[in-house]
Amino acid sequence: MAAAVKLAGKGYDVALIERKEELGGILDQCIHDGFGTKIFGKALSGPEFAGHFMDEASKLGLDVHLNTYVKSVNAGGDVKELVTVSPRGVERIKARSIVYAIGCRERHPFEIKVGGTRPAGIYTAGMVQRLVNLYGILPGKRVLIVGGGDVGMIVARHLYLEGVESITVVFPEEFFVGLPRNVQQCILDFNIPFRPRTVVKEIVGKERVEGVILVKVDENWRPIPSTEEFYPCDTVIFSVGLVPYAKKLRAIGAEIDPRTRGPVVNEFFESTVRGVFAAGNLVQIFDYVDDAVESAYIAADGVEKYLAGEGRLDNPVPFKPGSNVRTLTPHRLEWEDERPVVAFLRPAVEGRAWIIVRGGNGEILKKEFRQYVRPSTLERIEIPREAIDGAEEVYIDVAGV
Amino acid sequence: MSQEYEVLCIRCPKGCRLRITVEGNAVHVVGFACLEGKRFGEEEVRNPRRIVTTTVRILNARYPRLPVRTAEPVPKDRIRDVIDALKGVVVETPVRRGQVIVKDVAGTGVDVIAERDMEAVG
Repeated sequence: MAAAVKLAGKGYDVALIERKEELGGILDQCIHDGFGTKIFGKALSGPEFAGHFMDEASKLGLDVHLNTYVKSVNAGGDVKELVTVSPRGVERIKARSIVYAIGCRERHPFEIKVGGTRPAGIYTAGMVQRLVNLYGILPGKRVLIVGGGDVGMIVARHLYLEGVESITVVFPEEFFVGLPRNVQQCILDFNIPFRPRTVVKEIVGKERVEGVILVKVDENWRPIPSTEEFYPCDTVIFSVGLVPYAKKLRAIGAEIDPRTRGPVVNEFFESTVRGVFAAGNLVQIFDYVDDAVESAYIAADGVEKYLAGEGRLDNPVPFKPGSNVRTLTPHRLEWEDERPVVAFLRPAVEGRAWIIVRGGNGEILKKEFRQYVRPSTLERIEIPREAIDGAEEVYIDVAGV
Repeated sequence: MSQEYEVLCIRCPKGCRLRITVEGNAVHVVGFACLEGKRFGEEEVRNPRRIVTTTVRILNARYPRLPVRTAEPVPKDRIRDVIDALKGVVVETPVRRGQVIVKDVAGTGVDVIAERDMEAVG
């Protein structure tokens, strides 16, 4: 929506294709507050944040295709062709450029090796949010939440307030990995019990979940023998991380980064397929919706450059994660431009730190101090073009102080 | 008689663990890394407030629930009262984002507003 609104505002002919029956993506079920602190300077709820962009879209008279599924895309040439399926039937749409903003998916129990049975009563956190916040259906009475990230904590608070009798949160880390404000507002405010260094070994139950077997783990998340314990519950909710939904981009031949699990992108969020851009959680999991929106605005700038046929660098400059950096975007610098490059990186360490941008020979191009970095918070840094002028490759390090 | 609290500072991502002691009118905070944290700790024990978000029943809409929130933060110990006060509330479509759904909820002086537009369907 953000990319579409920005491009339509500049007079481009934009079609917005949405599989659901309304715009806004996952924000419709994120009814808690805390969205938009960077863009609007106040904490909005998810629907309010989405509503702002919906208003913009309708003001601009955007060509919106709801209930529309993109069946296939031919993105090879200068004119890209999409085949869509909707209640109107099968349609073809021709476009000169495409921005994918199809988000991420939740990791599920099979990805974290949970044994036992698969009865009724097993959910992902997103599914529960949808049931509770849109349909007013509680998933169960005695709930175990697996995962100490933001989504798990927010779901725990909602279930508590909506009247679930018993809630416990378990996670393998030493402490919650989400934002401290969520630990305080969602867990400590309501004294919701939690067990660190604990994972679900097995789910027990035939028709319905009857409980789980919990096991304690050491600092390397290895189960500690004979610490198994039966925990009775009727519902298990998995909140164990998000993964970019990159399948569709892979299908059209875009290269995927094994670290972010999203597409390889240049500084304007263009994938390795020319004229095909990616934005939001499809690229990497953003902690702030404001940053996801920024990625869409940058992608929109890229579309503009692409359509105008602006120049690309003769030799693209690779961007590589250096020490203590888990993921980094962009993956390379490819366009001639004056604007600073916006890089996002996930630190592998926690504490006071310098973010250091350096060239291939170790020369420091830019450094910025951070009061506190942590692996659960994506860092953003702007790098002026002048700073990287002439560099053959660029590394970004995080150095603890 | 003194009371002790432990809260996580939510002013920045650092998340300092504050230990706060209240003795009569005196509030003593330790564990902060900056003055913002000290101030947060003092407010947090004197008058902690939160935005409350939940849903109410809505008729003839795409979904049976309408997301709502308090327009302003309410005292933390009134969160449960706000939720309870909204239990029987039923609204009719259409609803506009920001529209007041309940005035002065549970006597807190704060209104409850709709988080989104909801049109009539069917």
